Amino acid sequence: MSLLSEHDRGVVREHLAKIQQPVTLLLFTQTIGAPETALIARQVLDELASLNDLIRVEEVNFVLEKDRAAQYGIDHIPAIVLLSNDTDTRMRFLGAPAGYEFMSLIEAVILAGTNDSQLDPESRALIAANVTAPLDIQVFVTPT
Amino acid sequence: MSLAHRMALESAHIRATCVEATEFMDLTRKFRVTGVPKTIVNESIEILGALPEELFVRGVLGLPEPETDSPPGE
Repeated sequence: MSLLSEHDRGVVREHLAKIQQPVTLLLFTQTIGAPETALIARQVLDELASLNDLIRVEEVNFVLEKDRAAQYGIDHIPAIVLLSNDTDTRMRFLGAPAGYEFMSLIEAVILAGTNDSQLDPESRALIAANVTAPLDIQVFVTPT
Repeated sequence: MSLAHRMALESAHIRATCVEATEFMDLTRKFRVTGVPKTIVNESIEILGALPEELFVRGVLGLPEPETDSPPGE
């Protein structure tokens, strides 16, 4: 069953048409005892992947594939890691990207699929001049 | 959310995670999240609310706010 109406699917499909390279959505979850939000996350990602052939969903077992969880720094589930052309974009989502965050997910997929941050030249210059060590940004949001 | 993600795409040193606050009470408690959006950088810098791009980028990088131009005529 589709989460979006046929009209909304058309609108999202149009937005996603900007994508030029493959985007992989790695969903970290577990088979036994996964939170209900992990199932919602899977549904949301599947819906997105059904709208563009360049988008692919890959489920990673958080319990059995500890090396991959460590590789991407994942310590909570459900977690989503976006890869652009199989390369880590360092963009993550923790929790089901439902409600308002669905829009953020679409935006992140477009950023990954175009590999362009779309930041102002001033911002790019500030980042290039000032970021020389790892920076971990967490943004707390709510679905509504 | 998108600004933090954009910054991650811009620099290989930056990782940006959008956290659904209601689902991870351990994290919201740890970082004392009482309102959203709340941004935490390297578990130390806190940014409250949604900011325009320049202020957000400067805030994340721990840079001072830009000086405003002197009003004309001075």
